[in-house]
Amino acid sequence: MQDKKLPWYSVVWAIVRKDALCELRSKYAFSALTMFALITLASISMSLAGATISSALAAALFWIILFFCAMAGLSRVFVQEQEAGTLFTLRLYANGQAVYWGKTLFNSLLLIALTVLVIPLFVILLNFTIPLWLELSVLLVLGDIGIATVSTLTALMVCRTGGKGALFTVITFPLLLPQFLMVIASTTRVFDGILPEVQDFVFMAGYDMTVLIATSILFDYLWYD
Amino acid sequence: MQGIIVELVNVSKKYGRRQLFVTINRQICPGECIAVTGSNGSGKSTLLKVIAGLIRPSSGTVKVHHNGHEVVADKRMPCFGLISPELIFYNAMTGYENLHFLVRARGVGLSDEQLMHCLESVGLTGRQHELLSTYSTGMRQRLKFALLVALRPPIWLLDEPSSNLDEEGKKLVKRLVDDALAQQATVIIATNDPEEANYAGQKIALV
Repeated sequence: MQDKKLPWYSVVWAIVRKDALCELRSKYAFSALTMFALITLASISMSLAGATISSALAAALFWIILFFCAMAGLSRVFVQEQEAGTLFTLRLYANGQAVYWGKTLFNSLLLIALTVLVIPLFVILLNFTIPLWLELSVLLVLGDIGIATVSTLTALMVCRTGGKGALFTVITFPLLLPQFLMVIASTTRVFDGILPEVQDFVFMAGYDMTVLIATSILFDYLWYD
Repeated sequence: MQGIIVELVNVSKKYGRRQLFVTINRQICPGECIAVTGSNGSGKSTLLKVIAGLIRPSSGTVKVHHNGHEVVADKRMPCFGLISPELIFYNAMTGYENLHFLVRARGVGLSDEQLMHCLESVGLTGRQHELLSTYSTGMRQRLKFALLVALRPPIWLLDEPSSNLDEEGKKLVKRLVDDALAQQATVIIATNDPEEANYAGQKIALV
């Protein structure tokens, strides 16, 4: 039998494809994320009863919704593997780094898909206008990557410690705080129609790069030990 | 990568105060089959996991040599293929999808025909596109062997390999072990079944 060694990105893509296939058939994580987002948005919209909210409050509410949506669904990438008993199989047959990048990419795509769904609903239900769509899109992608990256690592941590959900949010929040504060401040400016400073984008991109590299290094210790 | 030597040097394992096994010293050469026997809870499965590097021994080391050079611990995983009751596949995927994914996860690219050939060799033809949740335990066991046939690892670690298999399945296991040994693979079987233990030329008996 003639077999060939696959390049690294193909192995990462195999992990993403597997997670997407399982998610499409179970619809667990995306349903959890979507339902949480819809219920929260509807609750906020009804509470406001048509009142106008400030840009700062809108930005904070938007990112809080995304953060707690992430907390509701992103840990599934590892918790589901552990509950189904497939984590052992994955440890045995998949390279740790491929698992890390595959799961992070899957979580990022899942969160970006949710953001695409939430943002129009946010605009409609909160009767809000967004003047700078392009800048907002960049902020959303950078913020989502940060949340997904940290969540992937903490998901494995809670999965290995058996702490599950409650611990997941507690560990993830402080790690995300710098990105969270910056992205809320920048989103407020965008909602006000003011261009964020270039340094803000650089900070967020730098944060994403730093956590991607740091969590990639830390991941192996959690995966193999 | 065939022709791997597995060397156990003073390998011991204990959980708390409970000593599972002490100072196991053994060298297993390519083309050799060794059986690890013992009663339930004696540490057979644990020893396989120690050899695979999934569990650290309490003392001693497991060395893996290839062409006279020691394979460092973090490069060993591709050398091993493990069949164990703990090896669970994805219920939301078909047998073929599971095999396709796990082969690619190991970094090996096989064509559809090659994967189908692996499934055919373990008697799963015709059922490969059904969800794993519809598979019997015997069919799942056959799928584990299809994975080994596809990956052809130089070290086969088999924990109760014939469990849940019918007579035909047991013959299949014997044939696959013989084929692996003929290709100079190193085979280690943890078993309580005397028939399986007889596949091996040597034994490690755990108390």
